[in-house]
Amino acid sequence: MPNYKEKQEINYPYLSKPVSVYTYPNGYRVVIAKKDSHMANISTWVKTGSINENEQNNGVSHFLEHLMFKGTTKYKAGVFDRTLESKGGIINAATWKDYTYYYVTIPKISFDIALHMHADMMVDPLIPEDEVGPSFVFGKEIPEQKRERYVVIEEIRMGKDNNWRKVYSALNDAMYEKHPYKREVIGTGEIIASIPRDEVMRYYETFYSPDNLTTVVVGDFEDDEILEKIEREFKFKDFSNIEKCKSDERIPEVIIKKPAYIEQKTNVNTGYLMLGFLCESAKNLKQTIALDVISIILGEGKSSRLNTRFIEGQKEPYVSQIETCHYQFKDGDNFFIEANFDSDKKELFIDELKDELCKLANISGDELKKAKKRAKVNFAQEAETVSDIADSIGYYMSVCDDLDPAQRYLLTLDEIDEKYLCEFAQKYLNPSVCSISVLLPEGDK
Amino acid sequence: MEHITKDGLDIILNDRKNTPRTSVCFYFAVDEPEKYSGIYALFAKLLLQGTKTKDAKTLALELEKNCIDVSIKAKQDYLKASFLFLNEDFKLAMQYAKDILLNSTFDELEKEKFKTKAEIKADLDSPRVLASDSFVRGIFRGHCYSNTCSKTLEEIDNVKKDDILDVYNKILNSKKVISIAGDIEDVNELTQYFSDNFDFMKTNDTESKIPVITDFVSKDGNAEIIKVSKANLNQAQLFQGWIVPSIKSDLYPKISVMNNILGASGLSSRLFVELRDKQGLAYTVRSSYEALLKSALFSFYIATEPKNIKKSLDGFIFELTKLAKNPPSQQELQGAKENLTGRLEYFSQTNSQLASMEGYNYLAGLGLNYSAKFIEMINNVSANDVSGAANYLLSKNSLICALAPDEYLNF
Repeated sequence: MPNYKEKQEINYPYLSKPVSVYTYPNGYRVVIAKKDSHMANISTWVKTGSINENEQNNGVSHFLEHLMFKGTTKYKAGVFDRTLESKGGIINAATWKDYTYYYVTIPKISFDIALHMHADMMVDPLIPEDEVGPSFVFGKEIPEQKRERYVVIEEIRMGKDNNWRKVYSALNDAMYEKHPYKREVIGTGEIIASIPRDEVMRYYETFYSPDNLTTVVVGDFEDDEILEKIEREFKFKDFSNIEKCKSDERIPEVIIKKPAYIEQKTNVNTGYLMLGFLCESAKNLKQTIALDVISIILGEGKSSRLNTRFIEGQKEPYVSQIETCHYQFKDGDNFFIEANFDSDKKELFIDELKDELCKLANISGDELKKAKKRAKVNFAQEAETVSDIADSIGYYMSVCDDLDPAQRYLLTLDEIDEKYLCEFAQKYLNPSVCSISVLLPEGDK
Repeated sequence: MEHITKDGLDIILNDRKNTPRTSVCFYFAVDEPEKYSGIYALFAKLLLQGTKTKDAKTLALELEKNCIDVSIKAKQDYLKASFLFLNEDFKLAMQYAKDILLNSTFDELEKEKFKTKAEIKADLDSPRVLASDSFVRGIFRGHCYSNTCSKTLEEIDNVKKDDILDVYNKILNSKKVISIAGDIEDVNELTQYFSDNFDFMKTNDTESKIPVITDFVSKDGNAEIIKVSKANLNQAQLFQGWIVPSIKSDLYPKISVMNNILGASGLSSRLFVELRDKQGLAYTVRSSYEALLKSALFSFYIATEPKNIKKSLDGFIFELTKLAKNPPSQQELQGAKENLTGRLEYFSQTNSQLASMEGYNYLAGLGLNYSAKFIEMINNVSANDVSGAANYLLSKNSLICALAPDEYLNF
């Protein structure tokens, strides 16, 4: 018999059977969703990311994510990748501000080995010194052994050549005063080049505790069969006696206190703009859904307000693409408008964008109806594949600490009316509280 | 999967029960080289810019109000109009499909040209896109497969409305197929519906006039190099590629397996392990095998610190030569085959992916159930076949394209 402490059933939209959430006495959680498919997915979500970092270890969550693939007591570096990929598996991991997750999507027939090796990787990473690579002074020394440290530094380099990344990084930094979200998830070359292996391990021992982990399984399985295997394979070590890593103090920042305008120049052909707002926590379901709906009204599709005003309704548009983006976070959501534009029209564009934001004071019933249908379809889309379902569940469990918001999403969506949206927009998406980051071609005034 | 021919229509059906959205893809063969680079892509955009009864704004509004997702894309050998919608909106979505495919006015040509140029300029800001554009333009030079976005930028102003109408006429008279994936209630009713409403989708037995291209003609010995200078970059973008036989060749499954082993299996490919994990040269390194109808391109790609250009190029050839000299072990070979099979399943999970894949396979003349045939072909590849494929590449000319700050291009 499985040894969980508590079971919760969630009626997850667009899935034919309820999703089960099992909580164990040590706080570890397992979520099982049924999906009739030849493929199956297992992922483990860790409630840590740049949210738990400080100035000295910024980037460690992401660096650790890379190093988790570098072998365990049972399996040397490379065996995990080779074994599962040679069975048709798609494996990878990702780090974001609130969470880090590791996943395997694999033909169902090979699911057992995937579960075994995934669990082994999660509970017993060795992080061997020779896989980490020697530390060095970034920008001054070049190590002979360029191992994973250098791979991450190449990833940082890659980001520096990405124009949208430049615009986003500058904006993200300007939007926050002190919160750890201010920092880049990937960290800096200086920190990654120098952080000792033992510091990375200590970070693992601090944050990869059972109460911080949720394992999500999606596929055509019986719950008891999965729970039995998980209990057998996820043998957590006791890290209660270690000296924990210190995180920066977190005071959620909602609504930008000092709106900023940042301008950078480089060798680009066109202008890049991101305009951003800080909003309430993703745990506030109604407000998060309001942002989803406003995002659709403003920027999703050719008939959205921004596309109509700046592109489709113009004979010679000075904007070549424009869209909205809603990032959901534990300590407060982000809302962005991003666009490529003719840099000669910068002032005009910013004025017109702000004018368009003011117009959110009026939202028609037809617009809202259309946006609600789109939001429902977007939700349905997230239930199409085993990996999409796992991603959606993992997000709710990590950012909202609970799967209940998924169950309430469609009902809460129905509760939202024009008045609520307009009031919400006036408070949170007011042009007076946005920050703006632009990247312009060199030589522009 | 079911293939139905009815009243001149070729319809492929994939019945997937309990799926909320249906995907319908209308495929049209592109049989001739483009008169101007990008003209088919421009045509595809114009199909969403208004019909005889609905202007672009009304059309977009109505489609989006009903959550009917429409994507019309032109590729080198075909044009695909995809419609994805909730099952209950089937007939409504198909009314829009018919209107778009039959009654588009193409009146917004100048505006679309203007928009396209701005979009291309933004795309070419990406170092990877810029390098890839130069690479593809170079390796297929003299052939319509070299029509990249930079070439489109040079030629798009020449396009007149008559050119667009000419494209439309060719599309309507080409080989076509309708590919559907979704929860299909009644096959007979469905096919009758298409027969009654989509007679313009009757297929024609046309042959592609796009010439076959089998080799890269190097201007400069065995490996020609194109150098693209761009200042202030943190990484160099490097491509090395060969023109190779395509999907109908005996070499296709062999190159597919070789590609998987070298750089396309994910985290365990040889390039990933040797150049990334062991040498720390890159975050992104891979190989790819892109099969078009009349040719195919096998290539290596890496984004690396600019001073590592030479080392990376040597690494590509070292791995290729190693595989040419030493056939992979049975374990590695079997792993590659299973990886390819798993990926095929992974990338055909949604109705949209399935309708798209099956429609293309049929249009390309690969027949029905090509996925099963592909797996069978893959399973027949031997370790020596893989080495043979690597030797084949080494016997051919290749093109290298390097994009980096000027001071790093003396390699």
